[in-house]
Amino acid sequence: MIGIIIQGFLLSGLYALIAVGFTMIFSVGRVLNLAYGVYIMLGGYVYYVLAQVLSLPKIPSFLGAVLAGVAFGISTYLFLVRRLEDNPIAVEISTLILAVVMQAVIILVFSPAPRSMWPLVPGVIHLFGVTISKNIFLAMIVSWLVLGALLVFVHKTQLGRAIRAVSMDTKGSLISGIDSSKINIVTWALSGALGAIAGVFFATYTQLDPAMWVFPLIIAVAVVIVGGIGSIMGSLVAAHIVGFLETITTGVIAPELRGVFTLLLIIVILIIVPKGLLGREEI
Amino acid sequence: MKKTLLLWAIFAGLMCLLPLFASSGTLRVFIFANFLAIFAMSWDILSGYTGYISFGHPFLIGIAGYTTAMLTRHLGTPLFLSMPLAVLVTMAGGTLFFFPALRTRGTYFALVTLAFMEVTYGLMQVVKPSLTGGTRGLSGLPLLVTGAIPNYYLSFFVMFLIALGLWALTRSGLGTALSAIRMDEDAVKSAGLSTSKLKLFAFMLSALVAGIGGALYTHYLGSISPRGMFDINFLFTILIAALIGGEQSIVGPILGAYFLTFLLEYLRPYIPGAWRFLLYGVIALVVYYYAPKGLYSIFQAGANRFGKKTRRNGQYGQTT
Repeated sequence: MIGIIIQGFLLSGLYALIAVGFTMIFSVGRVLNLAYGVYIMLGGYVYYVLAQVLSLPKIPSFLGAVLAGVAFGISTYLFLVRRLEDNPIAVEISTLILAVVMQAVIILVFSPAPRSMWPLVPGVIHLFGVTISKNIFLAMIVSWLVLGALLVFVHKTQLGRAIRAVSMDTKGSLISGIDSSKINIVTWALSGALGAIAGVFFATYTQLDPAMWVFPLIIAVAVVIVGGIGSIMGSLVAAHIVGFLETITTGVIAPELRGVFTLLLIIVILIIVPKGLLGREEI
Repeated sequence: MKKTLLLWAIFAGLMCLLPLFASSGTLRVFIFANFLAIFAMSWDILSGYTGYISFGHPFLIGIAGYTTAMLTRHLGTPLFLSMPLAVLVTMAGGTLFFFPALRTRGTYFALVTLAFMEVTYGLMQVVKPSLTGGTRGLSGLPLLVTGAIPNYYLSFFVMFLIALGLWALTRSGLGTALSAIRMDEDAVKSAGLSTSKLKLFAFMLSALVAGIGGALYTHYLGSISPRGMFDINFLFTILIAALIGGEQSIVGPILGAYFLTFLLEYLRPYIPGAWRFLLYGVIALVVYYYAPKGLYSIFQAGANRFGKKTRRNGQYGQTT
């Protein structure tokens, strides 16, 4: 019992980190970026190349992964999404295509075989009689730190306030002189960075493989749908709902059912309460 | 209209003569192209026309495939019974699952259908593997016809009849009403039409075509597996065929399916298989970006220029 609670909190921290980058784009641009899972995959693979193939120290490798995420995030926006922005369905289709293309690229470069990644910090700690790896514990700490920093950023800085303004009312923010194109670029860069950070931890938690983008994407979509848009706190709560659901499913029922109940949650919520569990304005 | 019917007849005539001078290897490529065309048309009649993008078509095709596969395997049902039953189950099951989702707006519909496909994949591996064959699926299923030539004719005629039927239907008032939903659903509602009924109709039709295609495809391959069926790459191939060819045209998805299949076949000696999805995707992104109406619109523009067509094109270039 206590094991499930601790595991649930650890996993939820990771899920919150996975979801928040996806939520940001959804709240600012009102588009679903189905290529978001690619940022996570890219973060994992870039870290793997830098730290394990080139044997660089961990911190520069980590920064390299984040940079790759930022670059890919900005490119997705500039070269693909910007022209289709007023058509959310076109964005959905083209980002899904992009994700499959990137999966093919990863297969070409790294072969389809899964690879395992060394944990960022090896070893385990004991907490209330439950053994947990230091790595997933670090993931939770990083997740809380990143989310905290993000909260401060969007509430206390000029740029962060501008991002919130665009997400609340694009036209209104335009009238107040906010350059929404610049805000979009910043948001996509942030989303790429957050995805890559989440990706490094997600890859050490599971493994690297070319289809690894699908599961985090499902988690991110579920969190957005449960938690509603535009609120980092809402995402955090939703991430815990999804995280505990997953922990209970895989721990108590069957590990093969990973993701199934989360998907059912998405289906049920979208069909029964299309406005989202925690309330969300109509798009 | 008459001229276009003539074009359909010429197309059918040429395709019928094909086995006279094509090797059985080439015919197998055509067979795959025909099946892909059926799936892409099924996607088009729902998603291309009404704008409710389905990311779950493999789910529909899979229901049909698994129904007939399990009926023939476990109950020994003959094919002439199991295949129509599979189509009915696809229509009923699909409607039961997807119809509530049609209440949600376009973007969410895509997510719900994608989620359905992934859930089925997940459940397939744990629930009753004795029935569904679990991860490995079912193989050694009875074949409907054997040999390249009979299979070619079968797949072509089914594809051709479906194409002709859908083409005639979409050129009627019903087709106009469906594409109006894509443009402005509320306007269609205020014009006094029941959008729910129209969407249900488009969906049932799509499920019917997917069911026929899925059942035939399963008994052409003789095997079925969850990884081959409920897979993002399979969805991707269908989607790309429809998009490259040109959605909302019925003819487009056929063009797209043939184009994709043959492109892959001709490039096979030069590029290894792993490049396929990369190439598909890049072509699709480029076409989607620069010619959102696909190859069909490019051909049509060319035909109009050379054919001295004086009639003005409709908004979506569907005058033929």
